[in-house]
Amino acid sequence: MEGELVQQQQQPQERLNQAVQQQLNLEQVKTRAISLFKAISRILEDFDAYARTNTTPKWQDILGQYSMVNLELFNIVDDIKKVSKAFIVYPKNINADNATILPVMLSTKLLPEMETEDTSKRDQLLQGMQNLPIATQIDKLKARLDMIAAACEGAEKVLADTRKAYCFGTRQGPAIVPTFDKGQAAKIQEQENILRAAVNVGEELRIPGDQRRTTASLPMHLADAYPVNEGAQSFPDVSGNNVYMKNTPLSSNNMGGQNSLLQLHGQHQMQFSPQLGHQQFQGRQLSSAHMQHGIGQSQLNQGNQMTRLSQFPGHANSALFSAAQTTPNTQMIPNISAGITSQSLLPRMQYGLSGNNPQRSHPSQMLSDQSMNFIPQ
Amino acid sequence: HVEALEILLQGLCGVQRERLRIHELCLKNGPNLGTGSSEVRLLCDLEQTEPSWTVRHVGGAMRGAGADQISVLVRTMVESKVSKNVLRMFYTLGYRLDHELLRVGFSFQFNRGAQITVTVSSVNKMLKLHATDEAVPVTPGIQMVEVTAPASAKNYTEVAAAVQSFCEYLAPLLHLSKPGVSTGVVPTAAAAAASLMSDGGGTPL
Repeated sequence: MEGELVQQQQQPQERLNQAVQQQLNLEQVKTRAISLFKAISRILEDFDAYARTNTTPKWQDILGQYSMVNLELFNIVDDIKKVSKAFIVYPKNINADNATILPVMLSTKLLPEMETEDTSKRDQLLQGMQNLPIATQIDKLKARLDMIAAACEGAEKVLADTRKAYCFGTRQGPAIVPTFDKGQAAKIQEQENILRAAVNVGEELRIPGDQRRTTASLPMHLADAYPVNEGAQSFPDVSGNNVYMKNTPLSSNNMGGQNSLLQLHGQHQMQFSPQLGHQQFQGRQLSSAHMQHGIGQSQLNQGNQMTRLSQFPGHANSALFSAAQTTPNTQMIPNISAGITSQSLLPRMQYGLSGNNPQRSHPSQMLSDQSMNFIPQ
Repeated sequence: HVEALEILLQGLCGVQRERLRIHELCLKNGPNLGTGSSEVRLLCDLEQTEPSWTVRHVGGAMRGAGADQISVLVRTMVESKVSKNVLRMFYTLGYRLDHELLRVGFSFQFNRGAQITVTVSSVNKMLKLHATDEAVPVTPGIQMVEVTAPASAKNYTEVAAAVQSFCEYLAPLLHLSKPGVSTGVVPTAAAAAASLMSDGGGTPL
């Protein structure tokens, strides 16, 4: 509308371009404008009438009228938008407000930053192609676009395929049968069960008593875990016999009534001390290890006494154990039976201790097990 | 597929892996000690320059209908750092060594809804007592993956949900289950591992 008005003012004789005229469809725009004008004036009249007669207007009627106005306005703007590019906005009036902003508004040149961005992008795009004629440039750009489109499609296809293969988003497994055959699957299942049992419960990990032989040197972090004789670091301690004897105190303990048996043992021990001449530490590796394993060091005197008792050969221990069995008020007897699975006590002891064979196997091991059980609480 | 799993975990967790070498000793009390049988685990971390010891007691698991609905195991656990004479102390108390094992592997610790620790390790047994240098795997070729997170009585449902959702991310490679329940192998594990290990050019290693 503006453009038309301006042109009429400046060149009243000039008619608009035929095509533009048709595009503008001025007649239609005119009729629309007129109907819009009529609708608005109707609303205004209605409001006058309401004000005069002092009646409340009906909300629905007013809404209807407003929506009419809205619709017509929209149509007009739509029509004009189609051809607005052909026209230039021309300021009708320049005054103090407009003067500063007008040069920016009227210029077609881009802002400097936008300009540099534009040129850099264009350079990037047309790198190496500026020399060629325009047609080939266009072709090359088209080829590039096609390649990019093809790459995108390929990527999408791969994503869809993997999604199907792993069934993301679906609750069922893949349709493909697993590649393990039954034998392999069974083996794997068995291994898995073994592993779970090992970690949770300790299956397959328990070393039987006769194999619990410590290596010559413990790992560093366990160096303090086992009591160590003076001057000796390792368990097969043949040389440290006498030292071991010295370390063992012969004093009685003060732990109370429960230890009556232990003190009894102590007395027995006193008697046996002269018999310590032929110690059998060789081959006692495991038993000594086990005993020290089960019993603390200096804090527990009874433990040491126990240890020494079990090492005494011959009738000494049978005397001990018969004493154990006859002594009343002791908790030892039930413990003994608990400690040994099915065999009776005495025969085992004698069997284990009668000979001097250096390789001690189960009986002596059982003996030392018992000695561990003797620890009072 | 351990390496593939490591790559996947590295991507999911965003932290560096930590190496793991733990000597675990399981001690059980003797028949005279306490009212029932109990077991205590001593863990010695051998990866540090100075081995550090921890004692851990694992309690009973939560039971009931609610526990069955949660797909992770919720159980009480008491853990504490201890000094290095702890083994001797327990022996003095009357505990006996039941079994020991050595775990060698790596672990990741990160926060994703909860402070989650993922441990991947091969479980080794020692043929000779305490011979940690001569440990052989209990199941060669199969390693143990554990996902744990600490929780309190108030927030354990959220922590359980966080752990479960994390475990679903590992679904292409492995299935996790409660301790004691076996899972089997994931059929797509080989393909998933191959794709994780490949260098992006489509060539599997």
